Amino acid sequence: MKKDDRDKKKENNKKIEKTERRTINGRPFIDFVGHRKFFISLSLTLIAISIIFFFVRGFNLGIDFKGGTEVIVQTDRLPNKVVSIAEIRNAITSIKSEYKHAKITELKPLAGGKSNVQRFSIIVRDVLSNVDQKNIFEKNIINVFKSKISPKLNPTIEGFNIVGGFAAAELKKSAFWAALIGTILLLIYITVRFEFIFGVGAILALIHDALITLGIFSIFYIEVNSPIIAAILTLMGYSLNDTIVVFVRIRENMHRMRGKPYGEIINLSINQVLSRTINTSFTTFLTVFVLLLFAGSVLKPFALALTIGVVVGTYSSIYIASPILLGWLERARVRHVRR
Amino acid sequence: MRSEQIRVLIVVAIIALSFIFLLYPEKGSVGNSIFKNIKLGLDIKGGTRLDYRLDLSSVVGQDVNTLAEDVRTVIRRRLDTAGYTEAIVGKVGSGEKTRIRVEIPGITDPSAAERLIGKKARLYFGEILDRTVSPEKPKPKYGFKYEGAKWLKVRNQENTWYLIREDIHIGSRSVRLGGEHVIDARPSVDTQRGGYKVDIKFDSVGRKIFADITRDFVNKQLPIMLDQEVIVAPVVQEPILTGSAEITGKFSYADAKELATLIKSGNLPVNLIKVEERTMGPTLGKDIISRSLKAGIAGLVLVLIYMVLFYRSMGVVADIALLYNAILLFGALAFFRSILTLPGIAGIILTIGTTVDGNIIIFERIKEEMRAGKTVRASIRAGFSKATTTIVDANLTTILAAFVLYYFGTGPIKGFAITLTIGVIGSMFTSLVVSRSMLEALSPFMKNKYVTAEEKGA
Repeated sequence: MKKDDRDKKKENNKKIEKTERRTINGRPFIDFVGHRKFFISLSLTLIAISIIFFFVRGFNLGIDFKGGTEVIVQTDRLPNKVVSIAEIRNAITSIKSEYKHAKITELKPLAGGKSNVQRFSIIVRDVLSNVDQKNIFEKNIINVFKSKISPKLNPTIEGFNIVGGFAAAELKKSAFWAALIGTILLLIYITVRFEFIFGVGAILALIHDALITLGIFSIFYIEVNSPIIAAILTLMGYSLNDTIVVFVRIRENMHRMRGKPYGEIINLSINQVLSRTINTSFTTFLTVFVLLLFAGSVLKPFALALTIGVVVGTYSSIYIASPILLGWLERARVRHVRR
Repeated sequence: MRSEQIRVLIVVAIIALSFIFLLYPEKGSVGNSIFKNIKLGLDIKGGTRLDYRLDLSSVVGQDVNTLAEDVRTVIRRRLDTAGYTEAIVGKVGSGEKTRIRVEIPGITDPSAAERLIGKKARLYFGEILDRTVSPEKPKPKYGFKYEGAKWLKVRNQENTWYLIREDIHIGSRSVRLGGEHVIDARPSVDTQRGGYKVDIKFDSVGRKIFADITRDFVNKQLPIMLDQEVIVAPVVQEPILTGSAEITGKFSYADAKELATLIKSGNLPVNLIKVEERTMGPTLGKDIISRSLKAGIAGLVLVLIYMVLFYRSMGVVADIALLYNAILLFGALAFFRSILTLPGIAGIILTIGTTVDGNIIIFERIKEEMRAGKTVRASIRAGFSKATTTIVDANLTTILAAFVLYYFGTGPIKGFAITLTIGVIGSMFTSLVVSRSMLEALSPFMKNKYVTAEEKGA
């Protein structure tokens, strides 16, 4: 009798599993955990590529991190002549020969500003800490634009940024401490509310997101400045949010489905929250993507980091943060049973 | 029933408060935009930010905090005297990393202001021991008489050098007279010689010393130095006993004003080293405001439409919740007088995300409960009670991260942490309280479509 009962129960369970496998909440059930090896290797490959680029190509660091002086020059657009970057380079090299290594970029025209102008950002390594040095530099720039390129340009200085090496070093240091203390506090919180290993999973997913986003910045050599740091922090917060929502479901299902294989519990949990994950990611993607479309030169790298981040963060919370727990949880259970 | 009524009351009271903070005309606010009570950071509206480090090598054993406070007071006074009353002078960091931050909104040429800030500007009187004309600094002179004396350049005179000693010998004793004894200095028209002069007034100690010196120095030059420069070396006409003197030199008005400002505002107790400057023209600022406003509105509208398409009547609830939280966030920014910076905008975007997310988590739970065959009312209750844990856990981790950022971050990152924290708390409130009130009020009109569908299928 007893044996029969058990068999029946098993069969029932199998049936439930089967129906669950086929559909959940009216859409197909996806096996996330089953493909975890593929996705974890994919992520490891992406991270490896990113790290190789960090060392080989490095970053297009803005003056926030390197120190230096940036001046933004606006000139009139002449009817029969377009000012080129090569001309500017020639012109400023006559001020000081080192300026031939200056970073010069043409900026987009401003919304609501004059349309018949050209704008350029010129970055040199000098740190002009004193007012007179700065005034001389500004005067020289204006003069060479007039004398070496065209006297009719009417150049004006629109923006001026100076960052000393000291400030740059401080920014790096505080970013390091924020990351370290943040990691420790998150681990403590997640250990208290969940389990230690969940914290490890969440942190690994965060590192994954940050590395891949920075990797894309390195590969395409997009400028990294301090708003980018804010963008990366934002996407980490966002990805963490995503991960925690899955974890809460796993915690709940672990109570409800005590004794079931962890793989199944994790898979079910991800599937249950999937439509939430997709809807949230899509709406967030909409907002940041629109920002990217509208952004001018100042906002563009920032919006780009956010847009990449939403995609990477969503991917990591589905395919990395939870599946990575599986091996650990199973090993822990084996130990538990042995004891 | 009572708890529901209380909930509705709180929801209405909070939105009313937000509107008051946002719209109540604050003293000094300009323009007629609905956001006029929100202060914009310099990275958005344009202006200059200057960061200075204290050169602690020149002062040993002094408390950094008091030093920084003194520096702040002096700079504040200098900027006020020169008319930069809108400027903000703040202290950031602590200990060796202490920085003085000066933010001046909306000016295109910050050099004039910068000149005032950076000058240590020690004003003192002295005695001329020798004069020479030389293109370079002359060699120092040695001997008992020349102890402590330095060759200083004379302002507005090429190649002229005076050998100056700060100790002024009157008979057998020596005195010093510095800017700390000056209580007032102001520019005025020099009716005798043309141009402008600076009138100065001494305190009682200064008056006495000055009287002693001038008594001894009739028909002799008494030079006045500012740092390493002789500004002027007037000849003493007669003993001045009243404690009022004038520095004449056919100054331009700007020079006289700068000089007066420097003398009056006192000496900086320590050298300042500029570590960072950010100047952004007002047109660039306008560009950023208009672009991010457009993007914000377009993004918001897209999200609103998407939610209605996907969740129908519940989507309308989410949309109202989203607008509610947006007003709440701006109201809070106005109330705390926070300054909205570029990273702050990132915080707002993340807030839109978490508010929508909170609602989506709840709606998905309610749907699940409905699929399990519960009534609409029961589904809403169960959905909220289960979603609450998720929302609290997810948002508390975000707030935790925001606190770390606030503590370790520099200026703009701090702004990000503030908007994020306010936004996340607001989004928890909106999802768990505002949306709930609305859904419970709507529940009699909603149908459980999943049950009927399954029944049809069966």
